[in-house]
Amino acid sequence: MDFIAQEVDYFFHYISEVGTSKLVRIFWFFVIFEFSRLFVIDFLALIFIFIKRKLTKKKRKEARRQLFLYNPLISIIVPGKNEGKHIFKLVSSLKEQTYKNYELIIVDDGSDDDTEQICKSLKKNNLIDVFIRNEVRGGKASGANTALRVAKGDFVIHLDADSSLDRDAIEQIITPFYENPDVGAVGGNVMVRNYKETLATTLQSYEYNDAISIGRMVASYLGVYRIISGAFGAFRRDALEQVQGWDIGPGLDGDITVKMRKVGYKVVFEDRAVCQTNVPSSFKNLTKQRLRWDKSLIRFRLRKHKDVFIPDENFSILNFLSFLENIFFTIILNIKWYIYIIDVVINFPGILGMILVMNFFLYSCSNAFKLLLFNFFRERKNSPIYIYFPFIPLMVLYHGYYLRIVRTVAYIKELFFKSSYKDEWNPEKTSIRAKQIGI
Amino acid sequence: MGDVVESDILRHGAFEYIRIHDYSNYSLELFMAYDSVVIESNNRDFVEKLVRSIRTHNHTDVYLKPIFLLKSSKVEDPLINNLIDGVIFSIDQLELISDYVKQILLRIKDFVFVKSISLEAEIISRTINLMVSREKTELFAYLYLNSGLGYIYPEASIQFSPRDEHNLLSILDTAEQEGLFTSDFNDRIYLCTNCETGILSYREVCPKCNSANSKAEDLVHHFSCAYVGPVSDFKNAIDDELNCPKCNKYLNHIGVDYDKPSLLHTCNKCGHKYQDYHVKAKCITCHHDNDVENLLPRTIKNFYLTKKGRNVAYHGFISTSKDFNEIPGTVRFDVFKTMLEYEIERLKQNDATSNIAYLTISNAGELYSRIGIERQKILISEMIRILRKNLRSSDFIAFYSASTLILSLNDIPTKIANNILNDVVKITTMLLKKNFKNVEIHIETFATPLNIEFSHEIQLQQLIKRFETES
Ligand SMILES: [Zn+2]
Ligand SMILES: [Zn+2]
Ligand SMILES: [Zn+2]
Repeated sequence: MDFIAQEVDYFFHYISEVGTSKLVRIFWFFVIFEFSRLFVIDFLALIFIFIKRKLTKKKRKEARRQLFLYNPLISIIVPGKNEGKHIFKLVSSLKEQTYKNYELIIVDDGSDDDTEQICKSLKKNNLIDVFIRNEVRGGKASGANTALRVAKGDFVIHLDADSSLDRDAIEQIITPFYENPDVGAVGGNVMVRNYKETLATTLQSYEYNDAISIGRMVASYLGVYRIISGAFGAFRRDALEQVQGWDIGPGLDGDITVKMRKVGYKVVFEDRAVCQTNVPSSFKNLTKQRLRWDKSLIRFRLRKHKDVFIPDENFSILNFLSFLENIFFTIILNIKWYIYIIDVVINFPGILGMILVMNFFLYSCSNAFKLLLFNFFRERKNSPIYIYFPFIPLMVLYHGYYLRIVRTVAYIKELFFKSSYKDEWNPEKTSIRAKQIGI
Repeated sequence: MGDVVESDILRHGAFEYIRIHDYSNYSLELFMAYDSVVIESNNRDFVEKLVRSIRTHNHTDVYLKPIFLLKSSKVEDPLINNLIDGVIFSIDQLELISDYVKQILLRIKDFVFVKSISLEAEIISRTINLMVSREKTELFAYLYLNSGLGYIYPEASIQFSPRDEHNLLSILDTAEQEGLFTSDFNDRIYLCTNCETGILSYREVCPKCNSANSKAEDLVHHFSCAYVGPVSDFKNAIDDELNCPKCNKYLNHIGVDYDKPSLLHTCNKCGHKYQDYHVKAKCITCHHDNDVENLLPRTIKNFYLTKKGRNVAYHGFISTSKDFNEIPGTVRFDVFKTMLEYEIERLKQNDATSNIAYLTISNAGELYSRIGIERQKILISEMIRILRKNLRSSDFIAFYSASTLILSLNDIPTKIANNILNDVVKITTMLLKKNFKNVEIHIETFATPLNIEFSHEIQLQQLIKRFETES
């Protein structure tokens, strides 16, 4: 502690001597990317969202009235392997829904545990409407497509088996379709159920609460929302059929969103449609998950859908911006961060310790500020925010170092070794084919 | 009653055979006068009907009668085959069978016939009598199309109509528990939950609407684009190639670029898509559509008569230990006879009228099998209770059979005795109506004054003859 106190003391002494321009020169990364994004983009957008909601309250109410008037059938599809143990909890939360006209379709993608028995008994008791068992595993996309094939609803909600829903979640996620007929897909707000389980889950809950949830609200408002979480997303069935369902993953959540946007549908995020899910409880599994997510960014943005950058007759400025924003805030920013590190190491070797501590301090302040500020804009809170206070400094390490390093590893692996095709997440037979045709 | 043509009375040695053609006019009681029946017919239905009516006749002199078939070919039908005593191809062969007939008749002579108080005991003793008189020890179950269960035990099943045959299974189990039979496993059957018959039609039906109208198709998963759909999606009108509707590629090699992970049924009635069809079993008899999980499982066994079982024929079998040993308010039949004898003696000294009467349930077989054995006992006890309430303590009652009561109503005019009996009938009928829907009871009664001129034996015989010919 002495060391840190000394450095802080030294820092204050230092800034009293150098001017503001020098400070910006040293902490440019924070000033440009963190500070500007927070205040210029996020905060302003949130205020606009807040005002817009107040102004369109009547429209929202009318959309909801129409939903209940037309009472469309909604197909809830849940593909998965070895998920039997979660199904009952899911079914219980569905039974509590304010919106009742739905069918539940479960696709058991080659489970080798007692999933089949569990589902069959639930089916017998009419808690599941359609149960399809695949003896051999085909992967998440084929499971979802199988369910889509038998779905009869006007809307399809894709759920992960270990999700459970707020009582009004279905009504909330479908309402946007009635607010705007151009909407083809709506992403739900995923919250962490097991946030108390381990340090890893608490940090992720913090992340979902702030960066992910707020980030998606802002992106949706700006028209550049990209990823409908597989845990909870709703689609117009005709739109899904138009894009011919899901393509092979990983990253199929982001992929289907892009496909929707390409054919001209609006994709929005609905923070009021809340689902809870369990996140990986160890850093090891979390790392695996994030490597998969980050690799898919390369695979889908830079390879499969690279045509978004090409100005032809299908060109859409919003899709272009969405990709650009995505690539900027992930890939470019990641590279810039290393540039920043190199910059300070070369140019300010003498005060390196001070810079590190100071960055840490700045980011902590920013985090604390965000935590409190964003709280005004959250309509539904997963957990009281005070439980996150002790973790504010840790989040700096989580965002600034842990996620960044994982991302770097993922990009290198995917860019140079196409390692996502080796991921066990997909059956080998499908990955081989996908690699051959370059998707 | 038909006339017997002289040429149809065949004599051989000490025995007289009566020959019946399918055009013959006959009455079953007629057979009592002959030692054996020879049926000359190639008409299977006629033969079955005649054999059935002989073997289900109330009178021991009829139902145990040796029966032979005179025809040109062997009998394949297991029911007829097990209920007749042989096939002869010409009348000349009577000589060959006379020894066999003699043995049967000799054995029957040693039998003791006791009228039992329960249907259960009556079925058991009739079956055993038939078996022992033919020295059979095996009561086997045969697959049989015209049976309500799909299986028959020829010597026993004929006591029931096909719809009621299921009652036999528990009766045979009781007999086994009593030590009259041992058994081994033959088969397992499943019965309709509604009517307990076993002729069922199994169908795969839609779990939503129970329609059997559906089509099944393989789902195909194309690996490279994750398309999943029925095979028909991949077919084209031009050639036999399968190509993917999503990515247009050809499917080459199962397991390499595509596979068929599951089979999907589509209901043509309600459009529901499903993998796990329900299996339903429609009952041919009552048309009830059963869920197969609920069908009633029953074991079909082959039975073997034990020594104790054999003794039933020689000592009689009144009731199983499951029956009540003695129904309160009744006396045993032999006790009844003695008491009747005393009553006639008493009448000789007093100037009074006493009556003997019967009360018989004319549709007992049908009724008992409808309501089941347990409730049959309740019904009988209840009927006795009603009787006892309307009679005086000097009157006495005995069971003649599971369906017939013999009564002695003393010191009252016959007209009043008849009135009392009619009241009992009314009350019993009402009681039954209240407790069982769709079940009818037919009770016949008759009271006649005791005649001091004749012995009690003769008067009883006349009474019994009366209701036996009546029913
Ligand atoms: Zn394909
Ligand atoms: Zn149907
Ligand atoms: Zn039936």
